[in-house]
Amino acid sequence: MEQLTNLIISDRELATISSLLIKLMGDTNATSALLIDKSGQVVAMQGTGVRRDATNLGALLAGVFSSSREVAKLLNEKDFRNIFQQGVQENIYTSMIEEQWLLVIIFDRLTHIGLVKVLSKKASEELGRILERVRSDTTRTKSSVINVQFRSSVEDTIDLLFRD
Amino acid sequence: MALINIASHEIHCKIVYYGIGYCGKTTNLQYVHKSINPSARGEMLSIATETERTLFFDFLPLDLGTILGFRTRFHLYTVPGQILYERTRLAVLNGADGIVFVVDSQAERFEENAQSIAELETNMNRIGKDLHNFPFVIQWNKRDMPSALPVPLLERYLNRRGVPSFEAIASDGQGVFATLRAISKNVMAQL
Repeated sequence: MEQLTNLIISDRELATISSLLIKLMGDTNATSALLIDKSGQVVAMQGTGVRRDATNLGALLAGVFSSSREVAKLLNEKDFRNIFQQGVQENIYTSMIEEQWLLVIIFDRLTHIGLVKVLSKKASEELGRILERVRSDTTRTKSSVINVQFRSSVEDTIDLLFRD
Repeated sequence: MALINIASHEIHCKIVYYGIGYCGKTTNLQYVHKSINPSARGEMLSIATETERTLFFDFLPLDLGTILGFRTRFHLYTVPGQILYERTRLAVLNGADGIVFVVDSQAERFEENAQSIAELETNMNRIGKDLHNFPFVIQWNKRDMPSALPVPLLERYLNRRGVPSFEAIASDGQGVFATLRAISKNVMAQL
């Protein structure tokens, strides 16, 4: 497969992802659900608690996950597919989707981890199918966004903003 | 890997500052954070040890504003420079769209710099990327130090690919934005 340098998420796929996250939140009684790219960028989020801190949360959770995979390698483990972080009030369950995305569920004491695990796994399978579609659509839709005009406008903005 | 979200009209790119311990990676980000229009930057996040050395990474989100309807964001990261954190560097490199290699120009750091570039190449291969075909610039930092090696010598041994390079004194901001402009444009050109 051609190595992609970017991923393009369409309106339709984002709507599908968002409704999947809402359903997952409802079924597990979680407080928030996020889909994060492995680079730390937030693809989609649902729930109210994390909105303000989402950018930092994405960077940190992706870092933690990436770091734990290196730990796995040191133990001759293929990788750790899931991470569970347990707090007094809030807990976070993170699972990897197809080496590209991370599904993050934030939940409190009203929810049981077992339920989150099972339903996350189901949701991960569906998200894996969405990711496959996103990958195959990316090459086709890229030229509609990243055109000559866009590139030149970005360059102008970079010159304007990143100046001494 | 850059993320283009058509529904929310956002583009995100990840730029990683790589290099040996005390070469000035964090200083680059701190200067950008201090000097850029505050409306264009988020909070800078540093995961450091008690002695202020980077333990995991520094993170600075920058917002270029809306360009032809797309909100364009660059996320700047540094890696921890100390040798023992190699696996952590690999973790932070994951998903990068562009790399700035910050070189400490001092003669006594030359060997470490050379080893660090070699490590970067290996780590890129590990995550399935080829540094030859990747947005990559070099910054010759600490040009004000008495033992700084001449730039042509550094170019010859540390920049054999001839990627864009910039002289800098990151502590007073010289060369910081020139480097950032170059890598940002390079990343956008590869999108």
